[in-house]
Amino acid sequence: MDLSELERDNTGRCRLNSPVPSVCRKEPCVLGVDEAGRGPVLGPMVYAICYCPLSRLADLEALKVADSKTLSESERHRLFAKMEEDGDFVGWALDVLSPNLISTSMLGRVKYNLNSLSHDTATGLMQYALDQGVKVAQTDKEPALGFMTKSEEMDGQLVFVDTVGPPETYQERLQQRFPGVEVTVKAKADALYPVVSAASICAKVARDQAVKNWKFVEKLQDLDTDYGSGYPNDPKTKAWLREHVDPVFGFPQFVRFSWRTAQSILEKEAEDVTWEDSQTGDQEGLRRIKSYFSEGPRPRLPHRYFQERGLESATIL
Amino acid sequence: MESSDGEAVDKRRVHLRPVTLRDPAPILLHLLPCEVLVNRPAPVGLFFTPAIRQGPDGLEVSFRGRSLRGEEVVVPPGLVGYVMTEEKGEVLLGKQDFSEGLEDDEQEERELVEPPEALERDFDRFIGATASFSSFTLWGLETIPGPDAKVRGALTWPSLAAAIHAQVPED
Repeated sequence: MDLSELERDNTGRCRLNSPVPSVCRKEPCVLGVDEAGRGPVLGPMVYAICYCPLSRLADLEALKVADSKTLSESERHRLFAKMEEDGDFVGWALDVLSPNLISTSMLGRVKYNLNSLSHDTATGLMQYALDQGVKVAQTDKEPALGFMTKSEEMDGQLVFVDTVGPPETYQERLQQRFPGVEVTVKAKADALYPVVSAASICAKVARDQAVKNWKFVEKLQDLDTDYGSGYPNDPKTKAWLREHVDPVFGFPQFVRFSWRTAQSILEKEAEDVTWEDSQTGDQEGLRRIKSYFSEGPRPRLPHRYFQERGLESATIL
Repeated sequence: MESSDGEAVDKRRVHLRPVTLRDPAPILLHLLPCEVLVNRPAPVGLFFTPAIRQGPDGLEVSFRGRSLRGEEVVVPPGLVGYVMTEEKGEVLLGKQDFSEGLEDDEQEERELVEPPEALERDFDRFIGATASFSSFTLWGLETIPGPDAKVRGALTWPSLAAAIHAQVPED
């Protein structure tokens, strides 16, 4: 898999895709959505879609695609290579979300949680497929009078999604976004539907390769890349995190700062940082009620001109 | 370095080494929208500078997993910025490399004291410039600090101070 675009800049997100097979623009297709690398504290999360004409679904099944978690790394590679060979009827697209993007989203002033990020990424990939003319969906008819009738044309226009969070609300959300598509959101969809299995293989192959060839943004020397599985409960991963703490900067961007594991290591091993939106214990504006009755001199504040500019006279050096 | 209340203020005098102001090396500085509760050198060149990207709305980077947006702030004309460091013991602290250090507001606004006239008694303290700057990168949390940033306002103080302290011409 060619991840050179990601390797050029892995601080944001990166969309990769196969050419769209021309048959997928003509015939109704089935499309699967899955992700890899949602849990790990290290590296990117990869979202993938995979699609093929309904008439060729049996050929995709014949490749014996299965849930990527049940396959060995070499089997996944072999299957992905087969899908590439079958590029005349199988298409895929990926969205690689860098750990930096995940951290900054989740730690934003307005929290953008991982579920919402996942849902939006999946939606974005589905929209991409539609924009490319993949015939997954969308009847030509506008829904009249606010209700949809399942028309004959929509038969076979199916999307299967492996769930993130409760499948019901996720399905509702996607269904609203794509009213012309019949969306099925299910737990373990990657084991139930071959097209989702295929998507899970694409995602997992990309995630493994991205982690293996990760180009650290930081200029760190003698960096050992023996970080285990990347999952927070892996002792090897924990040990790697502890060894790579910088007291000021924390971790390299390869680490998801928003993960509990990363945060608790920083609390112990790195210097404290306060932000303008950090929670502070004492509100300086609030004084003890007794202070209003005491005769003592009120603390003299500098003129507003200086307060507004954050200027204070230096009394100690 | 004067103070209104006497207690808790260091009685020792602070002297500036004028010679250090002559030709200090220029330096790149970053002013972050957070406070790191420690004062120590930090590997800025390894962790921070290589991660800076030019985005559609200014510079982009992240610190501790939080997104920052930045822009260059130029020191007003007629002024120059110095990074001042105190000499410790017999060794000139100026030899230490503080180029990677995160600077805070005070650094830019610290006023220069008059050249020392007194003898260098062992309880006096000495500061000198270790670097100079004519601009720095100002970072805001998720948004560009923009024209209303506090530090931009702070930089207008020297010219105002000069105006209000200037001799009024007698007519």
